[in-house]
Amino acid sequence: MIKRLIAGGKQFLGMYPPGRRIAVLPDDIFLVSYPKSGNTWTRFLIANLVHPEKNPDFSNINDLLPDVEGMSKRDLARAARPRVLKSHQYFDPRYPKVIYVVRDPRDVVLSEYHFDIKRRAIAEDFPLAQFVSRFVRGELNHPYGTWGENAATWLYTRRGDPRFLLVKYEALQTQAIEEMGRIARFMGIPADPKRIASAIERSSADRMRELEKKQGHLWSSTRDTRQDKPFVRSAKAGGWKAELPESSIAEIEGAWGGMMRDIGYELAAPALVHAGMGHTEMERA
Amino acid sequence: MIKHLMAGINRGLGRHRPGRSLVILPDDIFLVSFPKSGNTWTRFLLANLRYPDEAATFANIDRLIPDPTGTNKKDFDRIPRPRIIKSHECFDPRYPRVINIVRDPRDVVVSQYHYHRKIRKIEDDSPIERFVERFLAGETCPHGSWGQNIGTWLYTSEGDPRYLLLRYEDMVADAARELEKVVAFLKMSVKPGQIAQAVERSSADKMRKLEKAQTDLHGLTRGSRKELSFVRAAGSGGWRSDLPAPMVAKIERAWGPIMRHLGYELSTEPSPSSSSSSSSTEARDDEYLGFLSGSARNS
Repeated sequence: MIKRLIAGGKQFLGMYPPGRRIAVLPDDIFLVSYPKSGNTWTRFLIANLVHPEKNPDFSNINDLLPDVEGMSKRDLARAARPRVLKSHQYFDPRYPKVIYVVRDPRDVVLSEYHFDIKRRAIAEDFPLAQFVSRFVRGELNHPYGTWGENAATWLYTRRGDPRFLLVKYEALQTQAIEEMGRIARFMGIPADPKRIASAIERSSADRMRELEKKQGHLWSSTRDTRQDKPFVRSAKAGGWKAELPESSIAEIEGAWGGMMRDIGYELAAPALVHAGMGHTEMERA
Repeated sequence: MIKHLMAGINRGLGRHRPGRSLVILPDDIFLVSFPKSGNTWTRFLLANLRYPDEAATFANIDRLIPDPTGTNKKDFDRIPRPRIIKSHECFDPRYPRVINIVRDPRDVVVSQYHYHRKIRKIEDDSPIERFVERFLAGETCPHGSWGQNIGTWLYTSEGDPRYLLLRYEDMVADAARELEKVVAFLKMSVKPGQIAQAVERSSADKMRKLEKAQTDLHGLTRGSRKELSFVRAAGSGGWRSDLPAPMVAKIERAWGPIMRHLGYELSTEPSPSSSSSSSSTEARDDEYLGFLSGSARNS
């Protein structure tokens, strides 16, 4: 009863993160990604593009680019419009404009593995292969579905829609200027090359590592986590080639190979996908 | 301010409707469909199957098969487990088990058009052409378009043992046979005659009578126009006479591949059973399958 009244009081004061229940406004832009897919980096890139004068860092990023899962309903309602909102949600038909950042799941799982060690969700010696199996099966420490579910629900429903922009994390790495130009045009912001170059420079992995060292204890995603492990880790693509066991790579490609190939992620063992993981079995009996 | 305070108090007392904040239990079963796809009928069927001692009515259905947007939290907490919960949402990875009802979108749009007239959401003489445009754009309800809603489920869950897909048309043809599938899916034990009784208690005639007597007892019909009924034709294929041909063509153009995948024959192309069209059939299925040639939810 007391617990319920406290919940009622919090509801009254708007002191809970709304997550999937957020009140969507017609001019909202959502920056959506599966966790550990470069969402924080993209947040910094966009914040530095839109608000260079505010010197975006870990202490003010939640004000500049609010987090629907990490901030209270009250603070979200107060954010300046048009809001650019960070979200990890699978498809929500109410989201008006969506920038979806997708990353190779073989790298995502590694990043999530290291992050789960940092936030003490798993022990440091937890077997990686077992972690990958859980990742593929959807036994996760978050409510956002599997990588395949999250990406498929957005790509299937919105691909080709003018209100949807698909950004590959890997393309942001290799051709940041072009990708930032696409993002700026999509958001209706002048794609000034100097401004874009400066936003990229100010969101570099080195600069973010420095900021994290000074401010890691201030930010909701890193507060109370192991300070001996960095949040901004390698910030690279393709780490899976050296770090993931072969059987784990096969497991991921077996589950999502078709979609990975379509997004442009080359498969290490394409034969496996042909050998019966194809979707033609969906044919109605 | 007052509104917020009242909401807070109602919440403290469990009088609010949980909506998307519903706490999902590991043995929950979700009955999911796009609106106007036979969801209410299936709710009656499942309620009458699950609770043979209490015939389902419009007065008790929100308690028997609760609706997160229509049943309050306090009632939710009293429902015996495993709960069967009604939902119109697109794919949600938290739903443990899902019974997904799909209906031919050409019939869905006609049904939703009449329902919106009944609840005064649109004018009586509002042209169906305009409604079809809005329907295709996903603007007639907050659950995405028909194609988006069913697509998110098919892409993520088809073939998964925790997912059962039923066609409304198959239920109309033989409800008892489809309920057998539900019984097997839920591993229920039923007595002989229990399925037949559930079908009988949920017939369109029974539901029409209940609707007449109880129209003000349920949120779906309360305050709506009494001269138009909620339980309408309760059949399939009405679109052939009710939907103008250009509108049929538009729907088939938008969702043709997914409709064919579901077994809904398109009127704008030759029948898929004719031998000459087999190669184009494959091409079209690829188009529907699109980029996803591996199941997203692998198990």
